[in-house]
Amino acid sequence: MNKTSTLVIHNLKKTKGQYISFGLIICLTALIMNIALVLAFQTFHAYDSLFLELDTADINILIPQFQDDDGIMAEIEKIDGVSMVEKHGGVFVAATVREFADSDFDMNTVFYDLDEARTLNRLNVSENPENDENTVYIPMYMKELGGFTEGGSITYSIDGKDAAYKIGGIVSEMQYGNYGTGLIGGYLPAAAYESFAKEHSEHVITEYSLRTARNADLTQIKNDVSEILSDKGITALNINDRAAAKQTRTMVCTLLIIIFLALAAIILAVSIFLSSFRIRSTIEDELAQMGVLKAIGYTGNMIVRSAVWPYTFSGIVATVIGAVLSYAALPGVAKVLAIQSGFTYTPVFDTAALFIVVLVPTFVIFLFAYLSAVKIYKLEPIDAIRGVAGKGGTGQNILLAALSVGIMVLLSFAGTLLYNVSVKPDNFMDTLSEESPSVIFMAQNDKMPELKEVLKDDDRVKLVLEYASVSVSYADGSLTGFVCEDFGKVTNDICYEGRSPEGEDEIAVGNALAKDYPIGSKIELSASGSSEVYVVTGYIQSVNHAGKVCQLTSKGYEKIGEGTGSLNVYLYDKIAGDFIEEYEEEHEDLVISSVNYEKLSENGRTMYAGIVSVVVVVLFVVSILMVLLVLYVIIHSMISRRRQEFGIYKAIGYTSRQLTIMTVTGFIPVVAVSAGVSAVLGLWYLPVINNEIFSQIGAIKNHFEVSIGILLVFAIIFTAVAFVLSVLLAAPIKKITAYSLLKE
Amino acid sequence: MSKQTIISAKHLKKSFGSKENVQTIYSDLDIDIYKGDFTVIMGSSGAGKSTLMYSLSGMDKPDGGEIDFDGTDITKLNSDKLAVFRRSECGFVFQQIYLIDKMSLMDNVVTAGVLKSKSKEEIRNRAKELFSLVNIPEITWKKTPSQISGGEAQRAGIVRAVINDPNVLFADEPTGALNSANGTAVLNVFTSLHEKGQSIVMVTHDRKSALRGNRILYIKDGKIFGECDLGKYEPDNAERTEKFEKFITEMGW
Repeated sequence: MNKTSTLVIHNLKKTKGQYISFGLIICLTALIMNIALVLAFQTFHAYDSLFLELDTADINILIPQFQDDDGIMAEIEKIDGVSMVEKHGGVFVAATVREFADSDFDMNTVFYDLDEARTLNRLNVSENPENDENTVYIPMYMKELGGFTEGGSITYSIDGKDAAYKIGGIVSEMQYGNYGTGLIGGYLPAAAYESFAKEHSEHVITEYSLRTARNADLTQIKNDVSEILSDKGITALNINDRAAAKQTRTMVCTLLIIIFLALAAIILAVSIFLSSFRIRSTIEDELAQMGVLKAIGYTGNMIVRSAVWPYTFSGIVATVIGAVLSYAALPGVAKVLAIQSGFTYTPVFDTAALFIVVLVPTFVIFLFAYLSAVKIYKLEPIDAIRGVAGKGGTGQNILLAALSVGIMVLLSFAGTLLYNVSVKPDNFMDTLSEESPSVIFMAQNDKMPELKEVLKDDDRVKLVLEYASVSVSYADGSLTGFVCEDFGKVTNDICYEGRSPEGEDEIAVGNALAKDYPIGSKIELSASGSSEVYVVTGYIQSVNHAGKVCQLTSKGYEKIGEGTGSLNVYLYDKIAGDFIEEYEEEHEDLVISSVNYEKLSENGRTMYAGIVSVVVVVLFVVSILMVLLVLYVIIHSMISRRRQEFGIYKAIGYTSRQLTIMTVTGFIPVVAVSAGVSAVLGLWYLPVINNEIFSQIGAIKNHFEVSIGILLVFAIIFTAVAFVLSVLLAAPIKKITAYSLLKE
Repeated sequence: MSKQTIISAKHLKKSFGSKENVQTIYSDLDIDIYKGDFTVIMGSSGAGKSTLMYSLSGMDKPDGGEIDFDGTDITKLNSDKLAVFRRSECGFVFQQIYLIDKMSLMDNVVTAGVLKSKSKEEIRNRAKELFSLVNIPEITWKKTPSQISGGEAQRAGIVRAVINDPNVLFADEPTGALNSANGTAVLNVFTSLHEKGQSIVMVTHDRKSALRGNRILYIKDGKIFGECDLGKYEPDNAERTEKFEKFITEMGW
């Protein structure tokens, strides 16, 4: 190395601008990659640590207290793989939280006695000595997304009655905590709980919390529990397990990790093209000098090292800097993720991530730089000096085409994401959620037909549909059931294979059940003590319920349950607030309660739009930086190689402006064509990418609209930006004079 | 006293081109180079002067024959071993100079020096001596090749070539790209080095340059066609110049 160091240092000094630009790209790669890896290594670990710290149960089963008996505990304890069972009391209610992020928020809520002694599902509670009968402790998710604060107030609407509480503190728990789990906790001090339970005695439940052996089969244990309950004629209100809760709460984090890793891979690929281009370009430019080096005694290996080391060295330095800088962004990213995950943690320095972030890109850079430089070995000094060594292309156009395609993939993905979140938000929400009406009205079953008629006569109403979310049980636990009078009329078709049910004996099941229940097979459901067998007609997706969902027709559900008393109302205009107010006043006798779903959807969009905008901004910034840096390297190299040619052109009367345009138009067509082709191909690859990414979180059927118009606009903008940047970067052409060439 | 042979080449063959269009440069060439000589190889354009010189120095491989360079058959060395061989045995001065751009003159010399010596201090001290010898002032050492004259650059090229005290200094048309004054200055350096005992092999078609040598070889039709011993260089020795002129006229120059 000592003998090569002079050359390495010389190479670094000679084109330091290019190594700095290369280093910046790698730095960016490392920054994004380190964020992704630290999240991957620490979020799930932090989740598990908190899960263990709070002795969270692996499985929780909720049953009505009146159905509980002393034998259940003993039988569950006997199940193979169950190491501990603990009983807790609670009150299970369908609650609406008022002013949740400026809207009403419907969520099944289990209220617990905060002071109940418990070994499992312990709670990490912020202390507040001034509890009274109106104090409630809320989970972190409600604080983060709902915008509630300690000491503030919160109003729950239960069974049509509003009750205001003072927020005594925030609870960290790992049992529920997220909209996606379908249930959320509420925690009342002993006195408050006692009066609450008395008031809602019909909703009092017993919770069986199970700790299982380390490698126990959770599905099998849930089956065994369901069997025990079924034998006793008990319908579980809810069965949740640690895996489903974890998947739901870390959904956005997983999505972010995938996007960031893909982004880092694209940038790294472009960087590799860049380093290969530079090395090939250097070999072409400095052929004679390399020949001289060989003549004076440098071996091929030493010269190759002198070409490869600066890139490898830049890679090492840049990846370390990028990884370190990422720690400035990580707390912010973790905070954004807490909104969706419902738990917070502080990312700390991660040696394993650093190791990978430094080693992987550096090795890839080294490998490709080496492969680009390998022709130096074959370079005969005499041929190099005489200039007869084979001159191949530098791959400039390939680099530009690769860059254009890479950037267009990023821009197209970001643009499509933005378009479907901002311009066509229904596409985004339909992908991540289920049916999105404007308003949901709850009514007594016997008043449903009348309310439906009134709504149908209202010319502001586009559609009225009997639609409800219910809870049903099957062999492996509980399912959220979507019950609708006619799935042919729904606005969000979440069926991704087969079809939705049409007959009363048909059912479509969620993606979590797809493996065990092929289309055409039968599944037994139970609710309210009745059971019925249904034929599976198709599969539906569900992000929020981890795929544990099903669709039943209203008549099909009535076989096991009572009428749902729920109507989805779809309005032509965004007037849900006024509409609800009017109906609650004018049809007080028909409407029990209502949900402003328009506002709720808006809140959901706002939450996701916040996360998406961060991703989109990152993608746009990265794209522009990559274009800038790659063009800088290419144009700098081009000017340096064609210096003499430009001097001659100037000598015969060409102006700097003409030469600049001549230079830029020499390669911009490559950018334009590649961008255009990539935009058109986007119609094919974007759905594939979107499906791949979103299916990781359970959104198998992607509703994103890929607009060729948007893609072409991005291709044009990209080409225009590349043209402007190229003209600016070609400014050094002005400094070339014919006279200076004579002097040289 | 008989001369000590430092390079002895036998039955050298070299040709260029494809099968259909083979251009034979030499087919059975024998040549000896003697230690301490300033050997000049002359010949018409395309005669193979440079090709021969580069074969003798291990820069280019002949198609056949043997080259014994101070006891080593360099035709049997692979390219890496040849590189190691060249770094200690050969120095090169090129017509186009080929100093490394954007590297100072001192660094250009050090870049060659580190191949043989581990101490950069030793190399710098030796370089300073040599820069003084070739009349390059200290103020110029830090300049890059583009900041100095062609003559200065070529003299720096000579310093780079001799920094590792090579057995033989090879020069390919060293004054070919220089004006008269710069050319003379460079030739003076060669003469000075020769006087200090440096073996030199120079290819040239320039009479003035050739006169600096003590032994002139003329290559023609792929063979050493003639040889002339001019003896020690003396600037104003008319008899020596006349002998040289007569020789190259006989050779068909």
